[in-house]
Amino acid sequence: MAKVIAEMLVESVKMELPDVKTVRFQWPEGYDPGDFKTGQFITVYWPHKPKYKRAYSLSSSGLDRGLYEVTVKRDGKMGTSIVDWVEPGDKLFVIPPAGRFLPVFDPPGKHLICVAGGSGVTPFRGFVREATKRGLDTRITVLYSVRTTQDIIFFDEFTDLEKENPRFKFHVTCTRLAPDHPWSGRRGRVTPDWVRSFIDDPAHTVFYACGTNEMVESVEHLVLHDLHLPKEQMKTEKWG
Amino acid sequence: MSSQVPSDLLYAKSHEWARIQDGVATVGITDHAQHELTDIVFVELPAKGRHVQVGEACAVVESVKTASDIYSPVAGEVIETNPAVVNDPSLVNSAPYTDGWFFRVRLTSGAPASLLSPTDYVAQIGE
Repeated sequence: MAKVIAEMLVESVKMELPDVKTVRFQWPEGYDPGDFKTGQFITVYWPHKPKYKRAYSLSSSGLDRGLYEVTVKRDGKMGTSIVDWVEPGDKLFVIPPAGRFLPVFDPPGKHLICVAGGSGVTPFRGFVREATKRGLDTRITVLYSVRTTQDIIFFDEFTDLEKENPRFKFHVTCTRLAPDHPWSGRRGRVTPDWVRSFIDDPAHTVFYACGTNEMVESVEHLVLHDLHLPKEQMKTEKWG
Repeated sequence: MSSQVPSDLLYAKSHEWARIQDGVATVGITDHAQHELTDIVFVELPAKGRHVQVGEACAVVESVKTASDIYSPVAGEVIETNPAVVNDPSLVNSAPYTDGWFFRVRLTSGAPASLLSPTDYVAQIGE
């Protein structure tokens, strides 16, 4: 069935951080996006600017029917307009989900190591939500790089999901904290050694990286060149 | 995918190109850059008359997936901008080295030593 572009109502919004907002779009009556999956992205545009489109990873999961959620950082014209202006009742056009940044839940028993930078963490919320809701045996480890503790998106939600799902672990590293900051977690950038420390069964591990090109390429290099794993075990989403 | 890297241009590490003729540099972004950005939907250019320094953020491109600053690879005065890429940003994808140029700068001095040769730029992007 052909995928249909639909004008969608903004049902609700939530400020996750001062510069990050989650927007929930409500599917219109009769809307059928077909077989969409957790980890895909939707593309949105304003009715008065049809040529100006931006794609955002779904932060909701494929189990969530009747809605799409995207979590947007104030970045560029679209990111700024969404974070600063979008409110319930607004309407935007939405191009249905696409993309191959998909969690491998089948076959069971995989370990998904998900490396994220900044707003690159948004698709992993969907991964964890689906795995938790379905009670899957898939292990998910999110390694999340942010500048400071003020930049951690979904901190409370991931912390709650960790309690609910013993197979999910969430680790944060801060790259720009002042030396005297009380943060007791890891500091510094994502390094190959840090990622390696979470690998216990390479053949059954699938790696995901979503963030800056530099971070994504570093993880790719580790997986494909240093660990000599096949491309099928490395999935990437770069955003500049 | 192999990107085009024309042999008659100089390149910045930040993926801008410069074609220097008679003391004027025409500036754009490389084929590799446009490919990494994917579909470009918005371009903002510097004002004519603006003086830019090497490495100064002076333009913005947005693709469907990200917004990025564009840094001047040369120093001098912006003497001309390309309205065609503002009206049709997809030109940056389809013709990054020709119709998709961004702006022209009258150089205050020669080409900066920091610019890369085509060979060095190819090595940087790993192709």
